[in-house]
Amino acid sequence: MILYLLGILLSLSAGYLVIRLLTNGEFNPILHILLAIVLGFGIIGTLTFYTHILFNFPNRFLSIGIVILGILILYLGFNKNNRSFPLIRMTKDYKIGLITLGLLTVPLAISGHYYPLGGWDAWSCWSLKAKFIFLGQENWKDVLAPNLWRSNTHYPLLWPLINVWFWDLGGQFNQAIPMFNSIAFALLTAGLLLFGLLELTGNLWVSIAASVIVTSLPLGVTLYTSQYSDALLGLFLLSAFLSLLLAKKYNLPKLKILCVIFLGAMSFTKNEGLIAAMILALLIFWHEGSNKKELKLMAISFFIALLPTIIFTLWIAPKNEAFINGLVSVEKPSNWGRLSVILIYPLFEFISWKWNGFWILTFLGAILAGRKLWQSTLGLIGLSLILYLAVVMAYYYVNTFFEIGWWLSTTLSRILFALIPTIILWILLGILNPKEKTGTH
Amino acid sequence: MQKLKSIFFICLFFAAGINLLLAYAQAIGHLEDRTSIPLHSLGYQFMGLENVFKGIRTVGYFTDKNLDNPLAVAQFEQAQYMLAPTVLDLNHTQYHWVIFDCTSPQVAMGAIQHLGFTPLKINHGIILAFNPNGV
Repeated sequence: MILYLLGILLSLSAGYLVIRLLTNGEFNPILHILLAIVLGFGIIGTLTFYTHILFNFPNRFLSIGIVILGILILYLGFNKNNRSFPLIRMTKDYKIGLITLGLLTVPLAISGHYYPLGGWDAWSCWSLKAKFIFLGQENWKDVLAPNLWRSNTHYPLLWPLINVWFWDLGGQFNQAIPMFNSIAFALLTAGLLLFGLLELTGNLWVSIAASVIVTSLPLGVTLYTSQYSDALLGLFLLSAFLSLLLAKKYNLPKLKILCVIFLGAMSFTKNEGLIAAMILALLIFWHEGSNKKELKLMAISFFIALLPTIIFTLWIAPKNEAFINGLVSVEKPSNWGRLSVILIYPLFEFISWKWNGFWILTFLGAILAGRKLWQSTLGLIGLSLILYLAVVMAYYYVNTFFEIGWWLSTTLSRILFALIPTIILWILLGILNPKEKTGTH
Repeated sequence: MQKLKSIFFICLFFAAGINLLLAYAQAIGHLEDRTSIPLHSLGYQFMGLENVFKGIRTVGYFTDKNLDNPLAVAQFEQAQYMLAPTVLDLNHTQYHWVIFDCTSPQVAMGAIQHLGFTPLKINHGIILAFNPNGV
């Protein structure tokens, strides 16, 4: 546990200093810390990709050493410029927010302990890959063997690599690490939603309700502690949108760079993450296209963050064994029956008891918010969510490898689960309608 | 409009409260029932074999179970997780070491004898056999 906390502290320090470099510490310190931990997870996962995967050099001191060296260089750079680190002024709102996070921790911790190995896809895919990379050392590529097709060998590796980094730090495989990470991702999502909404709207109780409704939904608790990469995808998506909204609110253009870095990291969580990242990045580049210098910086940052995904997808990942192109297949064609199931099934999903009315509430909220949801940055969020879901639905239609009823019943709830933190943020901002700043900071 | 917003926020607070209560109820349920952890005990039958397979990259895994049954697939995948980084090659027996996970020990022993392997270890009906002509 102590080593795990040390790992969190190291990733927090790395992320904190990078964000400090971008923003000069000009926004909410609690959000700064929360976003720093998320960024830190992205940094350690990416570094582990380069050391263990790309250069096949599984020396545990290398991935840890580079992080520590990076922190030292950044820290000394700050000291040289005599920059101070702002302390958090603990207001009453912050205290209530932190107590809420404490309340949310209890069911998450109990559920995490109840499912120590996580859900089915954790032991058959995510944690399995981590175990192969850490214990298999230079033979880690055995996890890509065709006979392991059930473990989705073509899926990206960010969460497994984050686990590997923590095992590198501890020097041994430890089943508790994926469990701790699953709880950390859930609490980071809750914290970002709570303090992000508080910062953007100033409404404490609505921020608390949003955070609680997402993180304590019993289905959500189970999925968070199932150790699936969907939780990480959802966390990066929320972090990206929050960075973008904060960039607009405080007129801090460099936070847009942070936004696209989160998108790049998100692309390495799941194939769905890559689709969402590409859609959102293209929309942001189009939306922000007027400032060429800013656009160039954002495009370069996105490319750097996307690099592990590009390398893995183009040169390392085996082909998807669970894919049949139904548009050309004679044996398993995409047909009207499949399309009608895809169009009808989500309606039943939305009213399913497992969501406790979340989607009905969201639908009512969307009606209340009306046009505001489709203006400015909120419009960008809405459009990207719709395009992403449209692409996912098209993939369900084209890939006829799986029987569609079974496939939707096992995966759609997870895809929606990754989106709910962002959707509630989007809806509530539309209803509360905070103003974006247009002047200079 | 303001009235509708107030009603919406009341619903939001109510839904958040209900979710929190249900999450705690689910947690209490987990604390009271530690015996029926779904699917998680399947892999424990294979614990200890990782010591036998140290340094071995692939072993065989033979089963006569119906792999359309999710429980049979779960058992195989849990075994794979427990024994990683050794790859379990499903229903291939050309390796030195082969795990027999069959519907009954009698079926497993019959298959082992038929293939000319030597049974070495048995644990909860799972049999580890040695193939003298294995690769």
